Amino acid sequence: MLFSSIPFLYYFLPIVLLIYFITPGKLKNSVLLISSLVFYGWGEPRYVFLMMATILIGYVFGLLVERFRKKASAKVLTALSAVLFLGVLGYFKYANFFIENINRLTGFSMPFLNVVMPIGISFYTFQLLSYIIDVYRGDVKAQKNPINLGAYIALFPQLIAGPIVRYRDIEIALRERVHTIDKTAEGIRRLIIGLSKKVIIANTMGEMCTAFTSSGDKSVGFAWLFAICYSLQIYFDFSGYSDMAIGLGKILGFDFMENFNYPFISKSVTEFWRRWHISLGSWFRDYVYIPLGGNRVGRMRHIVNIFTVWLLTGFWHGAEWNFVIWGLFFAVLLTVEKFFLLKYLKGVAGHIYVILVTLISFAIFSAESLEGAMGIVGEMFAFGRMPLVSEAFIYNVASYLPVIILAVVASTPLGSILYAGLKEKRGFGTAVDILEIPVLLTLLLLVTAYLASGSFNPFLYFRF
Amino acid sequence: MKNKSLITVICFALVLCVFSVMCFIKPEGEFSESERRPLEKMPELSLESVLDGKFMAGFEKYATDQVPFREYLKSIKANFVLKVLNKKDNNGIFIHDGYVSKLDGEINEEMADNAAEKFLYIYESYLKGKDMNIYLSLIPDKNLYLESMGYPALDFDELSRIMQEKCPYMTYIDIAKLLELDSYYKTDSHWRMEKIVPVAKLLLEKMGANSNAEYETLTLDVPFYGVYAMQSSLRVEPDEIKYLTNSSLENCTVTYFDAGEGKKGDMYNMDKAYGKDPYEMFLSGSTPLCVIENPEGDKEKELFLFRDSFGSSIAPLLCEGYGKITLIDTRYIQSSHLGSFVEFNEGSDVLFLYSTMLLNNSMALR
Repeated sequence: MLFSSIPFLYYFLPIVLLIYFITPGKLKNSVLLISSLVFYGWGEPRYVFLMMATILIGYVFGLLVERFRKKASAKVLTALSAVLFLGVLGYFKYANFFIENINRLTGFSMPFLNVVMPIGISFYTFQLLSYIIDVYRGDVKAQKNPINLGAYIALFPQLIAGPIVRYRDIEIALRERVHTIDKTAEGIRRLIIGLSKKVIIANTMGEMCTAFTSSGDKSVGFAWLFAICYSLQIYFDFSGYSDMAIGLGKILGFDFMENFNYPFISKSVTEFWRRWHISLGSWFRDYVYIPLGGNRVGRMRHIVNIFTVWLLTGFWHGAEWNFVIWGLFFAVLLTVEKFFLLKYLKGVAGHIYVILVTLISFAIFSAESLEGAMGIVGEMFAFGRMPLVSEAFIYNVASYLPVIILAVVASTPLGSILYAGLKEKRGFGTAVDILEIPVLLTLLLLVTAYLASGSFNPFLYFRF
Repeated sequence: MKNKSLITVICFALVLCVFSVMCFIKPEGEFSESERRPLEKMPELSLESVLDGKFMAGFEKYATDQVPFREYLKSIKANFVLKVLNKKDNNGIFIHDGYVSKLDGEINEEMADNAAEKFLYIYESYLKGKDMNIYLSLIPDKNLYLESMGYPALDFDELSRIMQEKCPYMTYIDIAKLLELDSYYKTDSHWRMEKIVPVAKLLLEKMGANSNAEYETLTLDVPFYGVYAMQSSLRVEPDEIKYLTNSSLENCTVTYFDAGEGKKGDMYNMDKAYGKDPYEMFLSGSTPLCVIENPEGDKEKELFLFRDSFGSSIAPLLCEGYGKITLIDTRYIQSSHLGSFVEFNEGSDVLFLYSTMLLNNSMALR
């Protein structure tokens, strides 16, 4: 089920919130677990059983690892759980990729597996791994109550598109959490802002991207317009989903980590990745990069560590070579920045550099395959081989320019700064407060209007 | 502001509750006038339909189709997209100077191939080897006349070149130069009968038929909101439907054939004129086969008109040149069955008259 859908907003959510808030505190996690399984089963009825089995296995491993902590068997159990969870992820997400490439290399014709990837498997697998590893490290205690662990793993606000919430971050909230009017109101605000980002901006940008991919009237300008719109689409889609997740979390009494922090204002790729999909970056930092030695090793080993992390980051996003290339593209840039470039990346030059490389990176990311990625990037640099502009480009620029400008402005902290500034200003604070509620309700009305129109509403996370 | 959070929570809870209750209790709508399609019904709930996901997929469509105030919400979205975000179109529908139209994209050669193959099948099955004059004429979409205002239009010249190349056994008649923007309804895709008399005369001349008729113009007394007006979800000025007649047309007999049964009818179906789609008044709209016999026409001349819906409003204007016109719409009858219902006589004229809209999306041709 998508957050940005009529069934979620006006059927699932009101019923769940009603039941959740009238249920006594001790049973709230049971409500969360059941509603999360319904939410998940809505799109993947068969995979609810996989999810339940995964939770149960994670629960047992958590207890066993804690039981044998500081003994060699704990390490073995942790490794075993990692192999098991990554094996399930590999089977559903990567098996056909490997079969395809082995067939290509060897000339074999191994049959493909007839499997559909369970939505959100990359997210909840990483959550389970972090839980078991944290128990092994002694950072958290194993959860004794399987319902609480189930509520954490399956928690519907963050189940299918993150943020990747660490168990240690919500361990206390799982036991006891406070629901306040202020926190609920903040959650509502984030939810509506997230919905608006996804439905009004990301989906509109997505329409432009579809217009590009289905058009035969290509040009260099059109390819760049596509790269801009796709970058904005994925940012507003993903950060919108994170806002919705954080907002829903707050309504339910949780505090999830922030996942985006205006990444497009960065002056270096290093900074960009501190602001983009923060929960994934910090996961790889804590569970891969640092255990490999991080930067406290020799230069060559350090470079190997960077490349390992970014190879895995790329591969995490999808089982295609273009994602691998996408990850390695960032590995190269981050390495060059770390050892040479970073000190020169200041001011406007830094901004231009980041925008340029992220546009290219998302053009690679947008494709279905390596050939597709090369095709789009090739068109972006086909000066002399393709026309600079085409009729389709001119029409789409004219049609989408106001939304692009809106999206660009909204991807900077300008709005937040203005909002905070006005609130501080004497005489304006009350006006801003008074206006905020009708603005939020208007946004909710617009989102509902878009959804009722059955507008273009893609789901970008099926590959993650 | 004190209580801001409380007011936010109360407002959100109220909106969510009220709208949610309305979603549950609202009676099921049957049909969407604007989209001219039945609305999704509540899917059957069973263990099997839940396990295979059909219930959920059906429910998502049902919930979206049956949402309360759907038409108002669609209108809010359309106005926001076009007037606030300043997009040039909303879901492909655009408005320029009162003309509502739909972006028609680029030439789809596969579709043109498909149409040409269907035409070739008809030619080889029924027309080849007979002494018949076969003509082809393409009706441009009204977007062609909006292209200079910055809206992309299908490349009419290229599509007509492709079709001429693929149908070398037909003589092409170019009618595009006789049309202009006001030859089309503002709110519909079709052309206006009162504006296409010169087109009919050109076709008749090129096919060697008489073309001197004069007509009286009558105006339908109901506003005409065409298909694009409905799809736009915006308040637009309606069109007027005008239709032409003369004594010769009044004496024509019209027979509609469906499933082999012939049924007498009128050239202008006034029941349909006051129905959901008034354009269907012209020769009763979608019919697989229709024969117009004109006692005052040239009895020696017979025309077989392969056509789409545009043909309904021009066919009456071709009557003066022929004693008999058979209109064939192969969207509603298999080409392979035509021989059972139609006798393609030697010496007849055959005109394939199709809109580019249909040729570029020709899967409906059978």
